[in-house]
Amino acid sequence: MNIDNTASQMRKGVLEFCILSIIKLGEAYPSDIIDKMKAANLNILEGTLYPLLTRLKNADFLTYRWVESNSGPPRKYFSLTEKGADFYKELEATWLELANAVEEITGKKN
Amino acid sequence: MKKVININFQGTIVPIEETSYELLKQYIESLRRYFSNEEGRDEIINDIESRISELFQERLKKGSTCITDDDVNAIIKNMGRPQDLEDAEAGEQQNTRGFQQNTGGEKEEFAHPNWNWKGKRLYRDENHKILGGVCSGIAAYFGIDPVIVRVLFIVSGIGFLLYVLLWIFVPGSNMLVNGVRKRLYRNPDGKIIGGVCSGIGSYFDVNAWLPRAIFLIPFISFFFRWGHIGPLTFPHFLSFSFSPGTFIIYVILWLVIPEATTTSEKLEMKGEKVDLNSIKNSVVEEMKGVKERVNKLGMEAGKIAKERGEEMGKEMQYAAKKTSGALGNIIVTLFKVFAYIILGCIALALIIALFSLAIVSIGLFPLKNFVLTDGWQSVFAWGTLIFFIFVPVVGIITFIIRRIAKMKSRNRMIRFSFIGLWILGIICFVSLVISVGADFRSTSSVIEESVALSNPNVKSLEVNSYNNNRYYRSNSWLRFEPFANFDDDTAYIGNVRIKLGKSLTDSFQVSIIKMCNGNNRRNADTLAALIPFNASQIDSVLYLDRAIAINTKDKFRNQNVQVLISVPVGHYIKIDKNVGYNQIRIFDNWDNDNWYNWDDNDFYYKTGETYLMKEDGLYTLDGIPSNKEDDYHNKWDDDDNDRNSLSAPPTQNYRYDQHNKIDSLSEAKKLQMQKIQTSLDSLEVEKEKENRRVKDSLEKAKETLEQKIDKLDDKNSPQAFLGSDNKGYNFVTHI
Repeated sequence: MNIDNTASQMRKGVLEFCILSIIKLGEAYPSDIIDKMKAANLNILEGTLYPLLTRLKNADFLTYRWVESNSGPPRKYFSLTEKGADFYKELEATWLELANAVEEITGKKN
Repeated sequence: MKKVININFQGTIVPIEETSYELLKQYIESLRRYFSNEEGRDEIINDIESRISELFQERLKKGSTCITDDDVNAIIKNMGRPQDLEDAEAGEQQNTRGFQQNTGGEKEEFAHPNWNWKGKRLYRDENHKILGGVCSGIAAYFGIDPVIVRVLFIVSGIGFLLYVLLWIFVPGSNMLVNGVRKRLYRNPDGKIIGGVCSGIGSYFDVNAWLPRAIFLIPFISFFFRWGHIGPLTFPHFLSFSFSPGTFIIYVILWLVIPEATTTSEKLEMKGEKVDLNSIKNSVVEEMKGVKERVNKLGMEAGKIAKERGEEMGKEMQYAAKKTSGALGNIIVTLFKVFAYIILGCIALALIIALFSLAIVSIGLFPLKNFVLTDGWQSVFAWGTLIFFIFVPVVGIITFIIRRIAKMKSRNRMIRFSFIGLWILGIICFVSLVISVGADFRSTSSVIEESVALSNPNVKSLEVNSYNNNRYYRSNSWLRFEPFANFDDDTAYIGNVRIKLGKSLTDSFQVSIIKMCNGNNRRNADTLAALIPFNASQIDSVLYLDRAIAINTKDKFRNQNVQVLISVPVGHYIKIDKNVGYNQIRIFDNWDNDNWYNWDDNDFYYKTGETYLMKEDGLYTLDGIPSNKEDDYHNKWDDDDNDRNSLSAPPTQNYRYDQHNKIDSLSEAKKLQMQKIQTSLDSLEVEKEKENRRVKDSLEKAKETLEQKIDKLDDKNSPQAFLGSDNKGYNFVTHI
């Protein structure tokens, strides 16, 4: 049990939630997602993001559309499906519950 | 200076440095093998490639002429270098030894299908290694201090060999964690000949020149010691100290080890961490997390359960197949290795035997007409030569060439026809042996002819041979006893032996015994009677044929001739050096029933020496009994049995050696004398010089003295003159 281990476990749990919430705001290109997460000080490597997106897409939570790009090959812009939106709601509920619980517990401690 | 190539990457042309291209290829290949079990593998990789391509375009737009190593490295760093990712996602990934803490039960197992066994396995601990991690791995396995294991290894004598073997066969912890096992490949990128050494170097993480040196050092010594190659040193042939042995080992390794052609093979060769595997693990893990929550929310519960059940089953099977005791693993691998080594040695010996057989049979084939009858035997002989010997030789050579040239043919017809022809060859060979054996089955009766000596009462008999050049030994590179020489229609067989015995009368007696083999007694007798052998006496010399001439009609049926010479007591016998091809033996046991057979108890006789027959046997002129002077022969006995007449008679060697010795002694003496002479000469010169110098200086001194005297004379002359005058005067006055 070390700190890195625990920290990364915690981070990982909320990763999909963060990604989905970024995409929920509108169509997103993976590198935009990365940038936004970086801006929020949540560093993630692109190599981790792509497989995640593909997985989510294959689970029908995401869909994408090809957009021609003048800098290289066409880009995939991801957006939430209906199912994905439901899923997001569930996650959001869970997250809020969890956040409240954690806050309460830690707050009590302090 | 770097080579730039254009690649079609995701539909755009990208100018890229060749090394960068390799880097990129390797990276993507590592991704590909990482996601190999992933459903959406191609899509993930495609997405990543697209992104990389986009980044490339950005760089090019900024004005770069081509993509460099730095660019690629930057991009890879952006995408996530495997290690970085592993660090970031550390945690449940793996601990250094490659076993997983089974916190999550079957779910965890599902997430790490490749390496999460229940139970311990022996790995080399690469995180705490000194050399190869063998000791620390063993220590970890038994839960003891690595130092103890290390000390045990160093103290025990076979430690080193065992260590190397374990190093090779025990998987390293890092390799296993990342699902990549190091494998031995030939390295085509670093090759000099076949890439074997380079591959071995990669395998052991050492410079390729180390294995190269191990292969080369015996070779270099080989060039300084030509002597140790030869057919008689066969046992050494397989030992590692024998340098052609290392050559053969190299060739075998070349044939056996596959070449690392694809990138993944190259990665396996280097045991490079394909750390992107950890990306996959994290993805699987994350998705599982998603699914778990989904499951908790009551969605798709049934489907997930089913999926997991299936995968679990698969994994359990896999695990069951793989899991066995670590020690059992080691024993099995060691056993396999030894079995392969032994099989390899046997195969090698057979191949070498086959090749030497091929060479010998080429040399012997001209003799065929003198041994084999024209009908079936001849056919069998040809069949044996072609199918039994040359078909496999050609087969092996073509196999090796094909392997080296990497031509792969799946043509079974060729293989089957090779095998078929070889079986035909075996049949021919067996038939030939049986048929020829039958021709030698019977032995003729002994034909004894006594030779009428023109002068049997001579005091001393010398035995010599007819001076016929044709009988001289051939200088052919290969000799097959007892054939001494042959041409198209005649072969000369050196089956002539001389035996000496004591005569019961007081005159010399000579008789000739002829014997022969054949397919039946009658034929053998006929053939024996046909043996031509001449012996006649002129004055005190008995002339004999040097060999038995046989022709292609009568064939060789082991014709042999023995000349028995009975020497009366008090008479001398001398056998000349150029008589016969075989040894001459003294035969002193007349009572032996098998007296016409060659008996090991007979004594060797020195040619070219005169012997005196006494009551109890032959003596040299020095009075040494013939059977007591054989110290030298005894030493040569073993060799002589094999090649009795191949070399000059040992006595000659002996004498020759003696002469050599004497020669070298006198040579040395001469040299010594010369030295002394030169030093004497130089002394003489020195002496003369010295003399001259002394003489000169003396002369000089004399001159100066004379000059001085002259001066003095000049000064004193009036006085002197006066003086003397005075004296004279005085003298006169005295009178």
